[in-house]
Order: sequence, then structure tokens, then C-alpha cells
Amino acid sequence: MGFFENLFGGRRDRSASVAKQRLMMVLVDDRYKLTPETLEQMKVEIAEVLSRYLPPVDAEQIEVKILRGEATDYLKADIPLKRGQPDMG
Amino acid sequence: MGRVITITSGKGGVGKTTTTANLGTALALQGGRVAVVDADIGLRNLDVVMGLENRIVYDLVDVVEGRARLRQALIKDKRLPELCLLPAAQTRDKDAVSREQMIDLTAQLRREFDFVLIDSPAGIENGFRNAIAGADEVIIVTTPEVSAVRDADRIIGLVEAAEKGPPNLVVNRIKPRLVNRGEMLSVEDVLELLAITLIGIVPDDESIVTSTNRGEAAVYDHQSQAGRAFLDVARRLRGEDVPFPVLQEQQGVLERFFGIFGRRRS
Repeated sequence: MGFFENLFGGRRDRSASVAKQRLMMVLVDDRYKLTPETLEQMKVEIAEVLSRYLPPVDAEQIEVKILRGEATDYLKADIPLKRGQPDMG
Repeated sequence: MGRVITITSGKGGVGKTTTTANLGTALALQGGRVAVVDADIGLRNLDVVMGLENRIVYDLVDVVEGRARLRQALIKDKRLPELCLLPAAQTRDKDAVSREQMIDLTAQLRREFDFVLIDSPAGIENGFRNAIAGADEVIIVTTPEVSAVRDADRIIGLVEAAEKGPPNLVVNRIKPRLVNRGEMLSVEDVLELLAITLIGIVPDDESIVTSTNRGEAAVYDHQSQAGRAFLDVARRLRGEDVPFPVLQEQQGVLERFFGIFGRRRS
């Protein structure tokens, strides 16, 4: 959080976005008994698997969301891949 | 054959009873034959919200236990002859009625009415399960608060498990000013979290307090933003494509007036 953001009152996240983030975590846990710790562990393992085939993936940069669809839910993962290293391994 | 629609929420105090009363009145105003059923056995409330508390002779438990015929227990609304209330029992507990009895009751009601609205008790126990037992459709009411949204999500799972189809959502008590400042979950946020179909956005509106005090539905009050929102929900339930108006911060009369013409995404 930079100096200017502090100056202009962006010091704290708006409470609505805090509420949304918290709810996302809570609902995933309610639906799938997936605690934040398990979720982090899952990201580490996803990163391990992908790193076998792709440039090294940073587990901390993986964003996992579970979205409710009509009949089924979907796990959506955003995984940033580093570019420009085609000759791995 | 009429449609049986249960209004539920999980969390208490989010506006189930107000929604049932207003939606029932709105559907009757729009020409439907409507029965509203208070399924909150032991905590009767829909009667006072509708201003019919002095007319109760028999209640839902009297009907299912055979002490009264359905027609004797149904109370006609003060203004609308096509709107009837079946009140809850006040002196019995939630287990006075079984699932099968509720299914029989809704089967009888749907023969006489176009819409049967069931006001569900809060919670996820038997009272709630009975309230959805005979339903064709479910409307979930929530407010933009973490506790209400969390409970709504739980209820959605239970409704889907009971194979009542994807429920519709009413987001109640939206405060546009707080949403604009980023201090209240927006309708879009709630929809993204719950991923069900939106059927109503009802603003937080002081006129609900005064109309409930008088035992009159807010849909009669043309100044009431909430009343207008409930009329829109009723039209959407009947299959009309009604756009969601942009909610105005409750300030000037002019702003309120022009708010009617503002349209969000269609």
C-alpha cells in the first residue's frame, strides 16, 4: 500500500470487498469442507504437477475459485505462466 | 393448477414474511387468485404483517388435523377478495405438522388458487423442510450481509438436494449509498457468490416500517421504492421481462422521480 493511497484514504480495503473475499472462502469451506490451509496445500501440489511440464509455477500466484453452476459447481484456477522460456528441461 | 412457491432464507429477520405479504398482494392486484400460507408454526406472524390478526378462527394445524375445513380456515384479505391467508398455529410447536400433511395441504390449495405462497420458518430443520415439501419453486430472500449470504448458500444447497429446481433470489434491504461507497455488498457481488437467478432487488426503505405498523402491504404505497420492487418481482414471477431499475439513494423527490426512468443492463 503506497504513500499516495494512504494519503487519499485508500488505506484500508473497502468493507464490501473484504466481505466478498471472506464469503468466498467461507462458502467454499461450507460446500466442500475445504479450509484455507487445505486450499493452500492444494495450490502447492497443483504447482508441483504443472512445474513438471511447464516453466516453474509459483503456488502463491495461483488463484482458485469454486463457482456454483446450475447443476454442478466449477473449480476455476488462474495460474500465471512465465513467458519466454520455451526450452525447459 | 396453481403454482406453489415457498419463500425461505435460512437466516431469520431478512424479510421473508414482508416478501410473502407483498408478493401475495402484488400477485392478487395483478389479477391472480392467491393464497399465502404461514408455515412458521408456533411463531405466527404473516397475519399481523397483513393486518388480518383479528379475523383468525382456525389455523393450518386445525386444517391438517381435521378440526376445520380448508375453506373455513382461509381468511379473506381486507381489500382484495382474491387474496386469502392460511394462518399458522400459535400454540403448537414446529412438529405439529408432517411433511405428508403439508404436501396434501398444498395439493388442495393449488386446485383453488393460481399462486400459493408459503412463508417458511427460518432455519434448516423440519419447519423449513415441511415448507418446501409441496413447493414447485423456491424464492430465497437474502440481505447483502455476510451472515445472510452464507445461510442463503446453505439453503440453496438444500433446495437443490430436494430437487426443487434452481431457486430464484430476492436481494432485500439494499442501501444504494453504501453500495456506491463500497461499504455494502452489491447485488452483483451477491449473485457472483450464490450463482442463482435474480428475481428481485428491494431497496432498504423506511416505508416498510410504516406499512407493517399499519398492517398494509407496501405495494399499495406508490411512493414506496420497496413496494414498486415487489410489484416488479410479481410481474417477473408471472413471466414478464421486467428490467431492474437503477436504485436511487433516497434523497430528493426529483431524484426519486427520475430514478423510475433509469435502467440498468436489460
